[in-house]
Amino acid sequence: MDLTRRKFLTLLGGSTAGAVLFQACGVPEAELLVEAPLEMPEDMVTGLDTWYATLCSECGNPEGIVVRVMEGRAKKVEGNVDYPINQGKHSARCEAALQGLYHPDRISAPLLRVGARGEGRWEEISWTDAIARMAHQLGQVQDKSSIVLATNPVGGHLGKVVERFASRMGIAHMPYETLDETNLRLSMERTYGLKAMPDFDIGGASYLLSFGADFLSTWGSPVRYARAYGQFRQGDRERGTHVHVEPRLSTTAANADEWVFVNPGWEGHVALAIANVIVERGLGDSSAAAALTGNGAVDLGRYAPERVADRSGVSAERIRRIADEFAGHPPALAIGGGSAGAHSNGLANLNAIYALNHLVGSAGKPGGVIPNPGPPFSDVPEAPARTSYADWRGLTGRMSRGEVSALLVRGANPVYGMPKVTGFEDALLGGRFNVPLIVSFASFMDDTTALADLVLPENHGLEDWGSDVPDPGPGYQAVGIRQPVVRPFFEGRGVHLGARSFADALMGIAQTMEVDLGLEGESFEDVLQAGARELFETGRGSVRANDFRAFWNGALQRGGWWDTTAAYSGPSLSPRQIASAPGEPSLGSGAFALVPYPSIGITDGRGAHLPWLQATQDPITTASWQTWVEINAKRAEEMDVREGDVIRLTASNGRSIEALAYPHPGISPDVVAVPMGQGHTGGGQYDKDRGANVMSLLDSLEDSETGALAWAATRVNIAKTGGWMRVPRFENTAPDLATDEDQHIIKLTAEDS
Amino acid sequence: MAGEKWGMVIDVDKCIGCQACVVACQAENNIPINTEDLYNQRRAVQWIRIERYWEGEFPDVKARFIPVLCQHCSDAPCEPVCPVFATYHNPEGLNVQVYNRCIGTRFCANNCPYHVRFFNFWEPSWPESLKNQLNPDVTVRSRGIMEKCTFCIQRIRRSTRDAKAEGRGVEDGARELNPACVNACPTDTLFFGDLNDPDSKVARMSAEETGEHGRGYHMLEELGTEPNVLYLKKVDKNAKEASHA
Repeated sequence: MDLTRRKFLTLLGGSTAGAVLFQACGVPEAELLVEAPLEMPEDMVTGLDTWYATLCSECGNPEGIVVRVMEGRAKKVEGNVDYPINQGKHSARCEAALQGLYHPDRISAPLLRVGARGEGRWEEISWTDAIARMAHQLGQVQDKSSIVLATNPVGGHLGKVVERFASRMGIAHMPYETLDETNLRLSMERTYGLKAMPDFDIGGASYLLSFGADFLSTWGSPVRYARAYGQFRQGDRERGTHVHVEPRLSTTAANADEWVFVNPGWEGHVALAIANVIVERGLGDSSAAAALTGNGAVDLGRYAPERVADRSGVSAERIRRIADEFAGHPPALAIGGGSAGAHSNGLANLNAIYALNHLVGSAGKPGGVIPNPGPPFSDVPEAPARTSYADWRGLTGRMSRGEVSALLVRGANPVYGMPKVTGFEDALLGGRFNVPLIVSFASFMDDTTALADLVLPENHGLEDWGSDVPDPGPGYQAVGIRQPVVRPFFEGRGVHLGARSFADALMGIAQTMEVDLGLEGESFEDVLQAGARELFETGRGSVRANDFRAFWNGALQRGGWWDTTAAYSGPSLSPRQIASAPGEPSLGSGAFALVPYPSIGITDGRGAHLPWLQATQDPITTASWQTWVEINAKRAEEMDVREGDVIRLTASNGRSIEALAYPHPGISPDVVAVPMGQGHTGGGQYDKDRGANVMSLLDSLEDSETGALAWAATRVNIAKTGGWMRVPRFENTAPDLATDEDQHIIKLTAEDS
Repeated sequence: MAGEKWGMVIDVDKCIGCQACVVACQAENNIPINTEDLYNQRRAVQWIRIERYWEGEFPDVKARFIPVLCQHCSDAPCEPVCPVFATYHNPEGLNVQVYNRCIGTRFCANNCPYHVRFFNFWEPSWPESLKNQLNPDVTVRSRGIMEKCTFCIQRIRRSTRDAKAEGRGVEDGARELNPACVNACPTDTLFFGDLNDPDSKVARMSAEETGEHGRGYHMLEELGTEPNVLYLKKVDKNAKEASHA
């Protein structure tokens, strides 16, 4: 039958014929009833969706996610309920992965620089051409160790490929982080003997004492911690008490039962004063106390509350009370990081903070610090390799002396993150073409990529393969698997253009240069499958199957593999003597202490190209899209500074930035706080030339022992420039509602029901 | 018992102000990008938002967070003022906005004490490639139309239909039923379900928490709007049963 539209409608008109017709098409009658025209428009349901499990690609510690796919397009990200790290929860950043995938500024083909460096004139070339050019240039370098591959810290099988590429090619691999975690990692090793980050059992703790770490917004594994925090607040157990010590009222500080202001850099002293009280009064574990002080070799008396009070800004009485509470509410947990570790005495600060867990017996116990076992793979490192700021300062020197022949960048933006006073950008560009070749593997333009000679576009995380050994893990062995949930968006540009997986690109380069990487298979997917085979052969864990195919499908379906019984089995976390007690922090000079903080959406700048994250309000100021300066409301009044006034912040090194004043009552009169993440000199429509980069004015201060960047140690002077701009914020967008005096939007109770 | 009555319980004691719910809602409901201009025009759209309240001054200062969304009032002030019945109460207890009827008088927004109704002052726009992300289950509202939280009605519809097709009921607290904000919330601040089902989590919580020792309260309850969103008081050991307006 020749079925025209008119005929179709005619047939549909007669109900029997219509039913017959639909029956013939295989549509059950029930469907017709649901779609009845009597329903309201909002009742309409269209199409079928499929959810695929994969890993988030926006944060350093990926959450397991499920992505809703309809007709080949990704529509929505939600947390993977099965995945041990986040158990169904996710952050604003995970959600915004979709905007990365379909971003209008995504680079869709390899780009060759045609103008001067940084001029922004590019020509599209084919992948074959790009790889051949790169292989040719790298091949000509005599001393291969003068080639530097800078990546973000990469774990899992990508980490393996990168390590193999670097070692077989003989080039230097330098992982880069804007806020380097050298101190935190070393502290775990010094305090607990752990290479991998342990899990913090926040949900199981009764008393939580945190220093500096904004763990509810950006620090560590925030979704995991936030989930546990919900349990900590209103779980099955009695409501926990949380005390947070930090120079700024951060999101975490705002949520704590008590926020303790501390002068920047003195966090370790406060921690030792608490330790001193606990030891003196015999409140804690006496053997741990003996071990920590080396049987008295370390004199905690030097950190008596009275001695610490003045300089730290925390009263002796308060320190004593917190010490009492901390020791009196087991299980108690101490966490430190963020700005507390970003000082010249940062490592010592963190060591002092984490030693507290030994004193109250929380190391290795539920409600405390839970160590993580190594990965279930034979050749994937326990934790991704890392470098410190000092290493990068060293590299800057080498670059300016012309000792670096090529810089290959991926997922790292040192031009943005390095303090300007270090001279990284000048060394990179130099008058004499110091670094002859800069290659960037990137999906988007950023500050470093904009200076590159060659740009190789990467697949988006939702189009790519990969794996992750969570670090911190959940306290047992777990592996997350990333799978492409949609076909590559630039597939239509053909095989010669479009984006590629970073690992595949590296493997392609090695192949062209005839370097054997010794990896299993031709593609990254093969490497990953070989890894999965290892898991399959263990015969344990969350996915079990008779044959590998079934196992692989099962692992992809669930988003990974984990074995809740495979806990840490290494040596117990015994207390060690506090090696280096924190000395005085060396700070810059200026009227205000500067506290830079990672933004909740765009973090250290890596999410600045995503409009959802740009538009995400900062929890404390409700501002977005710009760079603002948090300044004490009273102090601002004295200085005649009003909201939106353009303020120039100048560090003692002479560098300055301009940002909008945001006076509020929650910050110390001696502190100004500035969010990180804006002020990109390279980028696209949502991030380029927007706001100011607070990292750029930092002093070149580093931890005296580890060389980690002391990013919270700079002090600044501030001055009005005379300019004014509206602060894009959500606060007061609606007029206040006149209500009765005693009616409140947020009601409080002292009772815990 | 007649049909469902959808409701939400929000435990303010757990809310950390992280904005996960806000972005989840934007993604699910095709809310236009809140550009800097829109913020500055005071026309940013957030069906769910986190309000932050100051209490005291440094050093004795508190910043407190509360998620605010449409309260789906049983006695909604926005409903009777609509001249074209674009906003009405559906049989499931939802306060619904029919976009096709809306003529943009903005009376409803004017009458809503919670400021949770948003007007499209501009035609929503996305860069062409970003349109790939738009949720096909949700209409993009054009200029001149009022919009608001729907409790993700598209999810309710889809999950009820799927349940019906499989001959089962919709499970309480099911991920596919929950609004996007509820699934996102990392601390489990938000709970969603059928208040008419005495066994549902929200019904049980409402029963427990509205009792004498409960923490339950309705926002601006003195207005008598009978919201279907129940808030649970923030616990503060030093609290004197009061806070800020």
